[in-house]
Amino acid sequence: MPKDLETLTREKKVETDFQSSEVWAKVAGKAVYGIDLILPGMLYGKILRSPHPHARIKSIDTSAAESISGVRTVITAENFSCKPYGIVVDDELPLACGRVRYIGDEVAAVAAVDWKTAEEAAKAIKVEYEVLPSVFKPEEALAEGSPQLHEDFPGNVAWQRDLERGDADAAFGDADLVVESAFSIPAIHAAYLEPIACVAVNDNYTGLTLHTALQSPDSVRTIVAKVLEMPLSRVRVVGPVMGGGFGGKVYGNLNLYIISSMLAIKTGSPVKMLLTREEEFIAGRPMIAAEIKLKMALCRDGTILARESDIITDNGAYSAQAPWVSKTISERNDSVYRIPNIKTRVRLVYTNKVPTGQYRSYGNQAANFATESLIDMAAKKLGIDPLQLRLLNCTRKGDLTVHGLQIKSCALADCLQAAADEIGWEKKIRGRGYGLSAAIHANGSIVFDKNFRGASALARLELDGRVTIFTGEQDYGQGAHTAFTIIAARALGLPPGLVTIQSRDTLISPFSLGALAMRQTTIGGRAVQLAAEKLREKIEITAVEAGSESTGLREGAVNGSSANLIDLAALARYYHGKTSGLNLVGEGKYVPEESDYDESGYGNISVTYSFAAHAAEVEIDRTTGELTLHRIVAVHDSGRIINLLSAIGQVYGGVTQGLGMSCYEGYLFEAGRVANSTFADYKIPTSLDVPVIDYQFVERGDPEGPYGSKGLGEIVMVPVLGAIANAVADAAGDWVTDLPITAEKIYQLMAGWECE
Amino acid sequence: MSYLKALNLRQAVALLRGNPGRIRVVAGATDLSLQEMPQVALDITALPETTGLETADGFFSLGAALTHSEIANSHPVRHKATALTEACASIGSPQIRNVGTLGGNVINAAPAADAAVALVALGAGAVMINLEGKTREEAVEDLYAGFNQTIIDSGSEIMLKLVIRPCAANEGSSFERFASRKALALPMVNGAARVEVVDGFFRSVRLVLAPINPAPTRLLNLEEKLQGAPVTEETYKKIETEAAAEVEVRASLLRCTAQYRSHLIGVLAARVVRKAAERALERK
Amino acid sequence: MDNQEVVFTLNEELVRVYADPAESLLTVLRDKLGLFGTKVGCGRGECGACTVLLDDQPVNSCLIPFGKVEGRRIETIENLSRGEEYHPIQKAFVEKGAVQCGFCSPGMIMSAHALLKTNPQPSLQEIKTAISGNLCRCTGYKQIEEAIASAAEKKSRR
Repeated sequence: MPKDLETLTREKKVETDFQSSEVWAKVAGKAVYGIDLILPGMLYGKILRSPHPHARIKSIDTSAAESISGVRTVITAENFSCKPYGIVVDDELPLACGRVRYIGDEVAAVAAVDWKTAEEAAKAIKVEYEVLPSVFKPEEALAEGSPQLHEDFPGNVAWQRDLERGDADAAFGDADLVVESAFSIPAIHAAYLEPIACVAVNDNYTGLTLHTALQSPDSVRTIVAKVLEMPLSRVRVVGPVMGGGFGGKVYGNLNLYIISSMLAIKTGSPVKMLLTREEEFIAGRPMIAAEIKLKMALCRDGTILARESDIITDNGAYSAQAPWVSKTISERNDSVYRIPNIKTRVRLVYTNKVPTGQYRSYGNQAANFATESLIDMAAKKLGIDPLQLRLLNCTRKGDLTVHGLQIKSCALADCLQAAADEIGWEKKIRGRGYGLSAAIHANGSIVFDKNFRGASALARLELDGRVTIFTGEQDYGQGAHTAFTIIAARALGLPPGLVTIQSRDTLISPFSLGALAMRQTTIGGRAVQLAAEKLREKIEITAVEAGSESTGLREGAVNGSSANLIDLAALARYYHGKTSGLNLVGEGKYVPEESDYDESGYGNISVTYSFAAHAAEVEIDRTTGELTLHRIVAVHDSGRIINLLSAIGQVYGGVTQGLGMSCYEGYLFEAGRVANSTFADYKIPTSLDVPVIDYQFVERGDPEGPYGSKGLGEIVMVPVLGAIANAVADAAGDWVTDLPITAEKIYQLMAGWECE
Repeated sequence: MSYLKALNLRQAVALLRGNPGRIRVVAGATDLSLQEMPQVALDITALPETTGLETADGFFSLGAALTHSEIANSHPVRHKATALTEACASIGSPQIRNVGTLGGNVINAAPAADAAVALVALGAGAVMINLEGKTREEAVEDLYAGFNQTIIDSGSEIMLKLVIRPCAANEGSSFERFASRKALALPMVNGAARVEVVDGFFRSVRLVLAPINPAPTRLLNLEEKLQGAPVTEETYKKIETEAAAEVEVRASLLRCTAQYRSHLIGVLAARVVRKAAERALERK
Repeated sequence: MDNQEVVFTLNEELVRVYADPAESLLTVLRDKLGLFGTKVGCGRGECGACTVLLDDQPVNSCLIPFGKVEGRRIETIENLSRGEEYHPIQKAFVEKGAVQCGFCSPGMIMSAHALLKTNPQPSLQEIKTAISGNLCRCTGYKQIEEAIASAAEKKSRR
């Protein structure tokens, strides 16, 4: 083997096997999560929640609670201004102002010396309610005369979008075939294993510090500062290790952070609060439920002419990111195929139920279930193979999609073919069902804030020759920091073990939008790469200045002839002395091109786009409808893979979440009360429920992402939904159109029962 | 609360007698934190009388405080009371099975308690001891008093053991459940059967399904009809249609509709009888 | 809240703890004894994050009244490593990528530890069953299963 290749192979192996050092703390039980935090003098906070789905608060009497020994303070809406705040629309309050809108709404809160006293005190708060009529179904909430949830949002519509591109009506008129169907998706909880926890500390010198693990700490502290009317620089977030997020901890539970902050301000002591698992389900932020009506026009040869959708999303009582999720549900899948004409209406509707938020892929997975089922329905009607129909229409490299997305790299057709080949599309086993599905996902959104599109990072050479990377981008187990370490090490010619990532303190890390929209590797990683390259440049210049003849960097030393090799520690100390205390620092900023995104939402919304195709093989027990999943094949175009072990882990985990949403999960309500608020009743897959999962990466690279890489973390769960739905339909003869696809629904379909 | 662990039966009975109205017998105690705490909890899992697993006078005597894992791992039980092995192995999770007990599964009286369904199908009896130190035996199926209730007063009585007549050479038993997830799930429907087969005909059948009533429910009419019925496909088809017809079931928002549950009862009834019959025939 | 003295073996040491016997073992481990490696995911025995070994068997410590551990042996995740010296199962978890957020890892590792104590060469199905009471939301379980199989294989080769 030539020397260079040998070295490269060895380096590649080092990178592939590299795991950030935090993982050792995790397996040893030494990693500190939010629920583990203890500070001296810490108090414990508890929230009193509404028992009614809709009621006027006539009075709150906190005197009995206040008189309990060990109670330090009790707060109500009176401690805040009654001005609603929000992420997208302003409709939320830290504590209810005169009205509660769902079972679980925050009414009052206490801080006490221990959990038991806090719980006892919360129960001792007396609230008089006047129960108001409630509305639980979005269709009913839209009807005239139905109970109104928010004065500022008449008709119970929190957000609405009507959109037309091309001429859909004309296309439907010209079509050889029109297929249509309605689909129903329940609210889904991210179900991270660690319930949300935080400790708020306030003092006059440093201001407010929130110790809590968030995917987007800077976005959260911006909102907390605004609601508490504090200067932004006086609010700091310090993150412990995060026990899973999946989109649910982008903003986490804002009311919990604001309430604990107020308790800390009032008492002058640190206050710890957490959501119990039940509170996670009744007052967390599950992804919105959706009713999707779809219609598609096609030519006889399978060319898709147009798609029309009418979507109602169920907001619950308050909005969080639900408008953005509704938008993704309504349009992202339009860019999987070349669909020239689009007509869409989406309405986000208030009901007296748990408020909603987002979950891995922002609703793209919910839409995938509907749109990919409809593709197969069309294929069946046209007598065209579903694979061929997809290959005929799928988006390709160089396309400008109907919504203006610029596709600079795309291996979707190869992904589809590979998934079909691997599942045995041409040699199907009799009695089994096979299904395919395709997906696109925005990868590094540049339109959350048109003026803040990218990311920045700092790379600092430490006096011992190690390198610290400062970034605001978060790792919550998905491997972002492992990827950053590898990217920085590659840029610096260092072994990954010498690079440390620092991201968990907003006081010292660069401001960032955080772990959402698959920004981490593509945008955050690119900034890390640029910072590391800048540092390398500075190292090389300083090395020449210090007398080194060569400027090659390898294995922690500036390489020259062995005679004048200067190691990085020596170089760092040289610079440190020369400047009386400065470190060599590389600043990296990655600012993607400004988007042409317009008022109608047309334009390139993202740095680049990831693609995927999944295939499923299933079998149905005809006597019961019981589903056996034999295999899921997941083929991904995520550009070049940075860390294979992490990437495989993302695929396995994401596919399993997709399987959970397909077959097991979903909120159930009884008169506004969450009926399945435990892990026994809200069923996520166990080890025994996961089928064989095979993965493939089509590594074509990408012009934008660092080292040709693209994002993977969200898209992994998207196509699973459509693949399973279509495989079930292949075996059962018809589609189950409401999630989850249970044995009962399959059996009903096959037996021709009318649903009860 | 005080938590007392009795070291022998005399001590346990004396503690019961000494703490009237404030004591409760516990074994696995897994539900203790989820329910109202008694003032005194009397742990009976260290008694030789509640933890033995032996064959005496031709009967299995299974200590009421044996865990589901211990039952599921017992070779004699697997061989001659297979339904109970299958039931215990399907409960909750390994962690739950390592703590939850056979007696507790009966006394908690949850609808569709897996072990209890198997015990009733096997015709098990339960032996209790009272404050006077007197023992009594009742059939497990007669212990139920209502939803989540048995006639056993955990403040004045201790269930010591469960007794089962092992399957003879021409007998077999079987348990099956239908749940929406393969672990950590309560069943939509579960069922168990014990059958005796002679010359290709059912001599006797005990067939139990749940959840139908607060107690595991024997399908008595069908059991009677099956006496003397041939071991054939026609008979299994008959079981499927008649089992569903014999009972009325409730819908559950969390699990399934009544219509589907009723259908599953038929399917499961036929499956457990078939499996039990196959075992009876294999054993010969 | 009547505290009671409970004597038991914790991580190979005999300990004497005064605590409310109605408290869960989990609460006593974390809040009284400072052993935070055992995690809280649900408090109802439905997720396995709090798994510890009771006389070598995995149990949900959230469901064990503290009074019950009198005279018994408890082993927690803290017993598996000493400084930088890790248990083969822990090493395998790191090597195989079985850890993402890590919140289920201590409980998962304790279930694996119990399995390999009694069944040094488990089949894949036995591994799946052994961790079926431990929910994981990140990994889809595959790399966890591979890690347990690899730890078993390495152990048997030694």
